[in-house]
Amino acid sequence: MADNPGHSHMQDFEGHVHAVEADLEYWRTKRLEPRIFQLHRRGVLTLYDLLHAAADHPAAPAAPHDAEQDIEIRIRALEDGLDEYTRGINLISIDEADNPMVIEDTRKERGDYDDFFRIAKPPHGGRLGDRIARLETDLREYKRLLEVVTHALLDKGVITAEQMERQCAFLEGRGAWNGARIVARAWVDPVFKQNLIARGREAVRELNIPPGRLGKLGVAENTAAIHNVVVCTLCSCYPHDLLGDPPWWYRDDSYKECIVRDPRGTLADRFGLRLPDDVEVRVYDSTSDVRWMVLPDRPSGTEGWSEEQLAQLVTIDSLVGTAPALSPASGQNDC
Amino acid sequence: MNTNTSEVKHCFQVGDRVQVKQTSPAGNPRTPTYVKGKNGVVTALHGTMVNPLDHRGVYPPLCSVLFSVRDVFGGTSRDTLSVDLHEEWLVEL
Repeated sequence: MADNPGHSHMQDFEGHVHAVEADLEYWRTKRLEPRIFQLHRRGVLTLYDLLHAAADHPAAPAAPHDAEQDIEIRIRALEDGLDEYTRGINLISIDEADNPMVIEDTRKERGDYDDFFRIAKPPHGGRLGDRIARLETDLREYKRLLEVVTHALLDKGVITAEQMERQCAFLEGRGAWNGARIVARAWVDPVFKQNLIARGREAVRELNIPPGRLGKLGVAENTAAIHNVVVCTLCSCYPHDLLGDPPWWYRDDSYKECIVRDPRGTLADRFGLRLPDDVEVRVYDSTSDVRWMVLPDRPSGTEGWSEEQLAQLVTIDSLVGTAPALSPASGQNDC
Repeated sequence: MNTNTSEVKHCFQVGDRVQVKQTSPAGNPRTPTYVKGKNGVVTALHGTMVNPLDHRGVYPPLCSVLFSVRDVFGGTSRDTLSVDLHEEWLVEL
Protein backbone atom coordinates (compact mmCIF):
# COMPACT_ATOMS: atom_id res chain seq x y z
CA MET A 1 0.00 0.00 0.00
CA ALA A 2 2.90 2.29 0.56
CA ASP A 3 2.83 4.34 -2.60
CA ASN A 4 5.95 5.68 -4.11
CA PRO A 5 5.21 8.91 -5.93
CA GLY A 6 7.51 10.26 -8.54
CA HIS A 7 8.45 9.06 -11.93
CA SER A 8 9.33 5.46 -11.46
CA HIS A 9 7.39 2.85 -13.38
CA MET A 10 4.27 1.49 -11.82
CA GLN A 11 4.66 -1.93 -10.31
CA ASP A 12 1.11 -2.62 -9.33
CA PHE A 13 -1.63 -1.57 -11.78
CA GLU A 14 -4.41 -3.06 -9.63
CA GLY A 15 -3.20 -1.10 -6.61
CA HIS A 16 -3.12 2.17 -8.53
CA VAL A 17 -6.60 1.59 -9.99
CA HIS A 18 -7.99 0.67 -6.57
CA ALA A 19 -6.52 3.86 -5.12
CA VAL A 20 -8.20 5.98 -7.81
CA GLU A 21 -11.54 4.19 -7.35
CA ALA A 22 -11.51 4.65 -3.58
CA ASP A 23 -10.36 8.24 -3.55
CA LEU A 24 -12.54 9.40 -6.43
CA GLU A 25 -15.64 8.08 -4.66
CA TYR A 26 -14.51 9.66 -1.39
CA TRP A 27 -14.28 13.08 -3.00
CA ARG A 28 -17.59 12.69 -4.86
CA THR A 29 -19.69 11.25 -2.00
CA LYS A 30 -18.10 13.06 0.93
CA ARG A 31 -16.87 16.36 -0.40
CA LEU A 32 -18.73 17.50 -3.50
CA GLU A 33 -22.22 16.02 -3.59
CA PRO A 34 -23.14 16.54 0.10
CA ARG A 35 -22.13 20.15 -0.41
CA ILE A 36 -24.48 20.44 -3.37
CA PHE A 37 -27.34 19.03 -1.26
CA GLN A 38 -26.44 21.36 1.57
CA LEU A 39 -26.52 24.41 -0.70
CA HIS A 40 -29.76 23.21 -2.31
CA ARG A 41 -31.50 22.59 1.05
CA ARG A 42 -30.65 26.10 2.20
CA GLY A 43 -31.65 27.71 -1.07
CA VAL A 44 -28.16 29.10 -1.63
CA LEU A 45 -27.72 27.22 -4.90
CA THR A 46 -30.62 25.17 -6.18
CA LEU A 47 -30.67 22.29 -8.62
CA TYR A 48 -32.34 24.70 -11.05
CA ASP A 49 -29.39 27.04 -10.83
CA LEU A 50 -27.33 24.06 -11.94
CA LEU A 51 -29.62 23.48 -14.92
CA HIS A 52 -29.20 27.09 -15.99
CA ALA A 53 -25.45 27.01 -15.55
CA ALA A 54 -25.21 23.79 -17.55
CA ALA A 55 -27.14 25.38 -20.41
CA ASP A 56 -25.08 28.57 -20.28
CA HIS A 57 -21.76 26.77 -20.18
CA PRO A 58 -21.96 23.72 -22.47
CA ALA A 59 -19.47 20.92 -21.97
CA ALA A 60 -16.44 20.80 -24.23
CA PRO A 61 -16.64 17.81 -26.53
CA ALA A 62 -15.09 14.81 -24.82
CA ALA A 63 -11.86 13.53 -26.26
CA PRO A 64 -12.43 9.89 -27.10
CA HIS A 65 -10.48 7.50 -24.93
CA ASP A 66 -8.16 5.25 -26.80
CA ALA A 67 -8.67 1.78 -25.38
CA GLU A 68 -5.59 0.59 -27.24
CA GLN A 69 -3.39 3.04 -25.41
CA ASP A 70 -0.78 1.79 -22.98
CA ILE A 71 -2.40 0.89 -19.68
CA GLU A 72 0.16 2.78 -17.61
CA ILE A 73 -0.51 5.98 -19.56
CA ARG A 74 -4.26 5.60 -19.01
CA ILE A 75 -3.79 5.06 -15.26
CA ARG A 76 -1.51 8.11 -15.03
CA ALA A 77 -4.14 10.16 -16.86
CA LEU A 78 -6.74 8.98 -14.33
CA GLU A 79 -4.48 9.97 -11.44
CA ASP A 80 -3.92 13.40 -12.96
CA GLY A 81 -7.67 13.75 -13.56
CA LEU A 82 -8.38 12.85 -9.94
CA ASP A 83 -5.88 15.50 -8.81
CA GLU A 84 -7.67 18.11 -10.92
CA TYR A 85 -11.03 17.01 -9.52
CA THR A 86 -9.91 17.25 -5.89
CA ARG A 87 -8.21 20.59 -6.49
CA GLY A 88 -11.40 21.89 -8.11
CA ILE A 89 -13.51 20.79 -5.15
CA ASN A 90 -11.12 22.44 -2.71
CA LEU A 91 -11.21 25.64 -4.78
CA ILE A 92 -14.97 26.05 -4.40
CA SER A 93 -15.15 24.89 -0.78
CA ILE A 94 -15.35 28.44 0.49
CA ASP A 95 -17.72 29.62 3.18
CA GLU A 96 -19.39 32.97 3.13
CA ALA A 97 -18.83 34.94 6.30
CA ASP A 98 -22.53 35.66 6.78
CA ASN A 99 -23.68 32.14 5.90
CA PRO A 100 -21.23 29.79 7.55
CA MET A 101 -21.53 26.11 6.92
CA VAL A 102 -19.56 24.51 9.70
CA ILE A 103 -17.84 21.24 8.96
CA GLU A 104 -19.95 19.46 11.55
CA ASP A 105 -23.07 20.12 9.46
CA THR A 106 -21.35 18.59 6.46
CA ARG A 107 -20.46 15.48 8.45
CA LYS A 108 -24.10 14.99 9.43
CA GLU A 109 -25.35 15.54 5.91
CA ARG A 110 -22.92 13.12 4.35
CA GLY A 111 -23.70 10.34 6.84
CA ASP A 112 -20.55 10.21 8.96
CA TYR A 113 -22.73 9.53 12.00
CA ASP A 114 -25.62 7.73 10.33
CA ASP A 115 -25.34 5.35 7.38
CA PHE A 116 -28.87 6.33 6.35
CA PHE A 117 -27.56 9.58 4.89
CA ARG A 118 -24.64 8.13 2.99
CA ILE A 119 -24.50 8.55 -0.74
CA ALA A 120 -24.22 5.15 -2.43
CA LYS A 121 -21.04 4.27 -4.24
CA PRO A 122 -21.08 2.27 -7.47
CA PRO A 123 -19.80 -1.30 -7.30
CA HIS A 124 -16.26 -1.68 -8.54
CA GLY A 125 -14.55 -4.79 -9.74
CA GLY A 126 -14.20 -6.81 -12.88
CA ARG A 127 -11.30 -6.93 -15.30
CA LEU A 128 -8.64 -4.25 -15.06
CA GLY A 129 -9.42 -2.86 -18.53
CA ASP A 130 -13.12 -2.56 -17.70
CA ARG A 131 -12.35 -0.85 -14.41
CA ILE A 132 -10.15 1.69 -16.16
CA ALA A 133 -12.78 2.37 -18.83
CA ARG A 134 -15.42 2.83 -16.16
CA LEU A 135 -13.22 5.25 -14.23
CA GLU A 136 -12.58 7.26 -17.39
CA THR A 137 -16.33 7.65 -17.90
CA ASP A 138 -17.08 8.37 -14.23
CA LEU A 139 -14.30 10.91 -13.92
CA ARG A 140 -15.48 12.77 -17.04
CA GLU A 141 -19.03 12.98 -15.65
CA TYR A 142 -17.93 13.90 -12.12
CA LYS A 143 -15.71 16.68 -13.48
CA ARG A 144 -18.55 17.98 -15.62
CA LEU A 145 -20.80 18.27 -12.57
CA LEU A 146 -18.03 20.08 -10.69
CA GLU A 147 -17.59 22.46 -13.64
CA VAL A 148 -21.32 23.23 -13.68
CA VAL A 149 -21.43 23.79 -9.92
CA THR A 150 -18.43 26.12 -10.14
CA HIS A 151 -20.05 28.18 -12.91
CA ALA A 152 -23.33 28.30 -10.98
CA LEU A 153 -21.63 29.49 -7.77
CA LEU A 154 -19.82 32.23 -9.67
CA ASP A 155 -22.82 33.21 -11.83
CA LYS A 156 -25.02 33.53 -8.78
CA GLY A 157 -22.36 35.41 -6.83
CA VAL A 158 -22.24 32.84 -4.02
CA ILE A 159 -18.47 32.94 -4.35
CA THR A 160 -16.31 35.37 -6.27
CA ALA A 161 -13.34 34.87 -8.55
CA GLU A 162 -11.23 36.80 -6.01
CA GLN A 163 -12.19 34.37 -3.28
CA MET A 164 -11.21 31.48 -5.51
CA GLU A 165 -7.83 33.09 -6.17
CA ARG A 166 -7.25 33.52 -2.45
CA GLN A 167 -8.25 29.91 -1.87
CA CYS A 168 -5.84 28.85 -4.61
CA ALA A 169 -2.96 30.71 -2.95
CA PHE A 170 -3.86 29.15 0.40
CA LEU A 171 -3.92 25.63 -1.06
CA GLU A 172 -0.52 26.14 -2.65
CA GLY A 173 0.97 27.37 0.63
CA ARG A 174 0.21 24.27 2.63
CA GLY A 175 1.64 20.85 2.21
CA ALA A 176 3.59 17.95 3.57
CA TRP A 177 6.73 20.04 3.21
CA ASN A 178 5.53 22.09 6.19
CA GLY A 179 5.27 18.85 8.15
CA ALA A 180 8.81 17.94 7.11
CA ARG A 181 10.15 21.31 8.25
CA ILE A 182 8.33 21.04 11.58
CA VAL A 183 9.72 17.54 12.19
CA ALA A 184 13.26 18.50 11.18
CA ARG A 185 13.23 21.49 13.53
CA ALA A 186 11.96 19.28 16.36
CA TRP A 187 14.83 16.85 15.71
CA VAL A 188 17.50 19.54 16.06
CA ASP A 189 15.93 21.84 18.64
CA PRO A 190 14.68 20.28 21.91
CA VAL A 191 13.10 23.53 23.08
CA PHE A 192 11.08 23.78 19.88
CA LYS A 193 10.07 20.14 20.28
CA GLN A 194 8.75 20.68 23.82
CA ASN A 195 6.93 23.76 22.67
CA LEU A 196 5.41 21.89 19.73
CA ILE A 197 4.17 19.04 21.91
CA ALA A 198 2.82 21.40 24.56
CA ARG A 199 1.39 24.19 22.42
CA GLY A 200 0.88 22.67 18.99
CA ARG A 201 -0.01 25.14 16.29
CA GLU A 202 1.34 28.17 18.11
CA ALA A 203 4.84 26.71 17.98
CA VAL A 204 5.06 26.58 14.17
CA ARG A 205 4.92 30.34 13.85
CA GLU A 206 8.64 30.49 14.50
CA LEU A 207 9.15 28.62 11.22
CA ASN A 208 7.00 31.21 9.46
CA ILE A 209 4.43 28.53 8.78
CA PRO A 210 0.81 29.71 9.09
CA PRO A 211 -0.57 27.72 12.03
CA GLY A 212 -4.01 27.14 10.53
CA ARG A 213 -7.27 27.20 12.42
CA LEU A 214 -8.73 23.69 12.45
CA GLY A 215 -8.84 22.76 16.12
CA LYS A 216 -5.85 21.86 18.22
CA LEU A 217 -2.76 20.15 16.83
CA GLY A 218 -1.88 16.97 18.72
CA VAL A 219 1.70 15.76 18.37
CA ALA A 220 2.39 12.11 19.18
CA GLU A 221 6.11 11.59 19.58
CA ASN A 222 7.55 8.19 18.74
CA THR A 223 9.91 6.86 21.39
CA ALA A 224 11.91 3.70 21.96
CA ALA A 225 8.87 2.29 23.81
CA ILE A 226 5.92 3.59 21.78
CA HIS A 227 5.23 3.80 18.05
CA ASN A 228 2.30 6.07 17.22
CA VAL A 229 -0.09 5.90 14.30
CA VAL A 230 -2.99 8.22 13.42
CA VAL A 231 -6.47 7.51 12.06
CA CYS A 232 -9.85 9.22 12.05
CA THR A 233 -12.43 6.44 12.19
CA LEU A 234 -15.49 8.69 11.97
CA CYS A 235 -14.47 10.76 8.99
CA SER A 236 -10.94 11.71 7.96
CA CYS A 237 -9.85 14.53 10.28
CA TYR A 238 -6.22 15.46 9.81
CA PRO A 239 -4.35 18.74 10.30
CA HIS A 240 -4.53 19.24 6.54
CA ASP A 241 -4.63 23.02 6.82
CA LEU A 242 -1.12 22.74 8.25
CA LEU A 243 0.32 19.59 6.66
CA GLY A 244 -1.56 19.25 3.38
CA ASP A 245 -3.57 16.19 2.44
CA PRO A 246 -2.84 12.86 4.09
CA PRO A 247 -2.15 9.79 1.95
CA TRP A 248 -5.21 8.67 -0.04
CA TRP A 249 -5.75 5.49 2.00
CA TYR A 250 -6.19 7.61 5.15
CA ARG A 251 -9.70 8.28 3.82
CA ASP A 252 -10.34 4.64 2.94
CA ASP A 253 -12.74 2.72 5.21
CA SER A 254 -10.68 -0.45 5.20
CA TYR A 255 -7.69 1.38 6.72
CA LYS A 256 -9.90 2.88 9.45
CA GLU A 257 -11.38 -0.49 10.38
CA CYS A 258 -8.16 -2.48 10.34
CA ILE A 259 -5.83 -0.10 12.12
CA VAL A 260 -7.90 0.08 15.33
CA ARG A 261 -8.68 -3.68 15.47
CA ASP A 262 -5.16 -4.87 14.77
CA PRO A 263 -2.66 -2.02 14.75
CA ARG A 264 0.47 -4.13 14.75
CA GLY A 265 -0.79 -6.57 12.12
CA THR A 266 -2.05 -3.79 9.87
CA LEU A 267 1.28 -1.97 9.98
CA ALA A 268 3.08 -5.20 9.12
CA ASP A 269 0.73 -6.57 6.46
CA ARG A 270 -0.27 -3.39 4.66
CA PHE A 271 2.71 -1.19 5.14
CA GLY A 272 5.57 -3.62 5.64
CA LEU A 273 6.39 -1.98 8.97
CA ARG A 274 7.37 -4.70 11.44
CA LEU A 275 7.88 -3.44 14.97
CA PRO A 276 9.66 -5.26 17.81
CA ASP A 277 7.37 -6.98 20.33
CA ASP A 278 8.53 -4.71 23.13
CA VAL A 279 7.39 -1.57 21.30
CA GLU A 280 3.79 -0.62 22.04
CA VAL A 281 1.73 0.52 19.06
CA ARG A 282 -0.57 3.37 20.04
CA VAL A 283 -3.33 4.45 17.67
CA TYR A 284 -4.63 8.01 17.92
CA ASP A 285 -8.21 8.30 16.71
CA SER A 286 -8.47 11.93 15.65
CA THR A 287 -11.43 14.15 16.15
CA SER A 288 -12.01 17.51 14.59
CA ASP A 289 -11.06 19.22 17.84
CA VAL A 290 -7.65 17.62 18.23
CA ARG A 291 -6.01 16.66 14.95
CA TRP A 292 -3.01 14.44 15.47
CA MET A 293 0.29 14.10 13.67
CA VAL A 294 3.15 11.72 14.45
CA LEU A 295 6.59 13.01 15.26
CA PRO A 296 8.76 10.21 13.85
CA ASP A 297 12.16 9.16 15.22
CA ARG A 298 15.22 10.84 13.78
CA PRO A 299 16.95 8.25 11.58
CA SER A 300 20.34 7.10 12.77
CA GLY A 301 23.34 8.09 10.68
CA THR A 302 22.14 11.68 10.33
CA GLU A 303 24.41 13.26 12.93
CA GLY A 304 25.52 16.68 11.82
CA TRP A 305 22.89 16.95 9.07
CA SER A 306 21.29 20.34 8.44
CA GLU A 307 17.60 20.91 9.02
CA GLU A 308 17.13 21.18 5.27
CA GLN A 309 18.73 17.79 4.70
CA LEU A 310 16.79 16.19 7.53
CA ALA A 311 13.50 17.51 6.18
CA GLN A 312 14.13 15.52 2.99
CA LEU A 313 13.75 12.33 5.02
CA VAL A 314 10.22 13.08 6.27
CA THR A 315 7.42 11.51 4.19
CA ILE A 316 3.66 11.97 4.49
CA ASP A 317 3.43 8.32 5.58
CA SER A 318 5.84 9.00 8.44
CA LEU A 319 3.60 11.87 9.62
CA VAL A 320 0.71 9.38 9.90
CA GLY A 321 2.95 6.74 11.46
CA THR A 322 2.66 3.97 8.90
CA ALA A 323 6.34 4.28 8.01
CA PRO A 324 9.48 5.55 9.71
CA ALA A 325 11.26 8.56 8.29
CA LEU A 326 13.54 7.57 5.41
CA SER A 327 16.98 6.37 6.35
CA PRO A 328 19.97 8.15 4.83
CA ALA A 329 20.72 5.07 2.77
CA SER A 330 17.27 4.83 1.20
CA GLY A 331 17.77 8.01 -0.75
CA GLN A 332 15.89 11.24 -0.59
CA ASN A 333 12.23 11.85 -0.58
CA ASP A 334 11.25 13.28 -3.97
CA CYS A 335 7.72 14.45 -3.14
CA MET B 1 -9.22 30.18 17.81
CA ASN B 2 -8.79 27.66 20.55
CA THR B 3 -9.09 28.55 24.18
CA ASN B 4 -6.56 27.38 26.66
CA THR B 5 -7.22 24.48 29.00
CA SER B 6 -6.30 26.55 32.05
CA GLU B 7 -9.55 28.45 32.14
CA VAL B 8 -11.72 25.36 31.84
CA LYS B 9 -12.95 23.18 34.67
CA HIS B 10 -12.59 19.51 33.87
CA CYS B 11 -14.62 16.89 35.77
CA PHE B 12 -11.79 14.38 35.35
CA GLN B 13 -8.08 14.28 36.01
CA VAL B 14 -5.23 12.58 34.26
CA GLY B 15 -5.04 9.02 35.59
CA ASP B 16 -8.79 8.65 36.28
CA ARG B 17 -10.31 5.35 35.22
CA VAL B 18 -13.46 5.98 33.22
CA GLN B 19 -16.15 4.11 31.36
CA VAL B 20 -17.68 5.35 28.12
CA LYS B 21 -21.48 5.52 28.19
CA GLN B 22 -23.47 3.46 25.71
CA THR B 23 -25.53 6.47 24.73
CA SER B 24 -25.47 10.16 25.42
CA PRO B 25 -28.65 11.52 23.90
CA ALA B 26 -27.66 15.16 23.96
CA GLY B 27 -23.98 14.40 23.61
CA ASN B 28 -21.96 15.21 20.59
CA PRO B 29 -21.93 12.50 17.95
CA ARG B 30 -18.18 12.13 17.71
CA THR B 31 -17.73 9.11 19.92
CA PRO B 32 -16.61 6.04 17.98
CA THR B 33 -18.96 3.08 18.40
CA TYR B 34 -16.15 0.69 19.29
CA VAL B 35 -15.38 2.39 22.63
CA LYS B 36 -18.97 2.61 23.88
CA GLY B 37 -19.29 0.72 27.17
CA LYS B 38 -15.50 0.25 27.38
CA ASN B 39 -13.13 1.21 30.20
CA GLY B 40 -10.07 3.39 29.78
CA VAL B 41 -7.75 5.83 31.53
CA VAL B 42 -7.68 9.60 31.08
CA THR B 43 -4.25 10.60 29.71
CA ALA B 44 -4.70 14.25 28.71
CA LEU B 45 -7.07 17.16 29.23
CA HIS B 46 -7.69 19.45 26.27
CA GLY B 47 -10.12 21.90 27.78
CA THR B 48 -13.03 23.36 25.89
CA MET B 49 -12.44 23.89 22.25
CA VAL B 50 -13.83 26.87 20.45
CA ASN B 51 -13.52 25.70 16.90
CA PRO B 52 -15.94 27.74 14.82
CA LEU B 53 -14.85 26.28 11.50
CA ASP B 54 -15.90 22.90 12.75
CA HIS B 55 -18.90 23.43 14.98
CA ARG B 56 -21.22 26.05 16.34
CA GLY B 57 -21.29 26.60 20.04
CA VAL B 58 -19.07 24.97 22.57
CA TYR B 59 -18.82 21.30 23.41
CA PRO B 60 -18.05 20.04 26.94
CA PRO B 61 -14.37 19.67 27.83
CA LEU B 62 -12.41 17.09 25.87
CA CYS B 63 -10.16 14.35 27.29
CA SER B 64 -7.79 11.85 25.68
CA VAL B 65 -8.68 8.40 27.00
CA LEU B 66 -6.40 5.41 26.55
CA PHE B 67 -7.92 1.96 25.91
CA SER B 68 -6.24 -1.35 25.36
CA VAL B 69 -6.97 -3.09 22.07
CA ARG B 70 -7.46 -6.28 24.09
CA ASP B 71 -10.25 -4.73 26.21
CA VAL B 72 -11.99 -3.24 23.21
CA PHE B 73 -11.73 -6.00 20.63
CA GLY B 74 -10.55 -9.05 22.61
CA GLY B 75 -7.50 -11.10 21.72
CA THR B 76 -4.08 -10.82 23.28
CA SER B 77 -2.75 -7.55 21.82
CA ARG B 78 -0.79 -5.25 24.15
CA ASP B 79 -1.33 -2.30 21.85
CA THR B 80 -3.43 0.73 22.74
CA LEU B 81 -5.98 3.17 21.36
CA SER B 82 -6.04 6.84 22.33
CA VAL B 83 -9.47 8.35 21.68
CA ASP B 84 -10.53 11.94 22.35
CA LEU B 85 -13.88 12.04 24.09
CA HIS B 86 -16.06 14.81 25.45
CA GLU B 87 -16.80 14.53 29.15
CA GLU B 88 -20.53 14.04 28.83
CA TRP B 89 -19.75 10.57 27.46
CA LEU B 90 -17.65 9.51 30.47
CA VAL B 91 -18.43 8.15 33.95
CA GLU B 92 -15.79 7.67 36.61
CA LEU B 93 -15.09 4.10 37.73
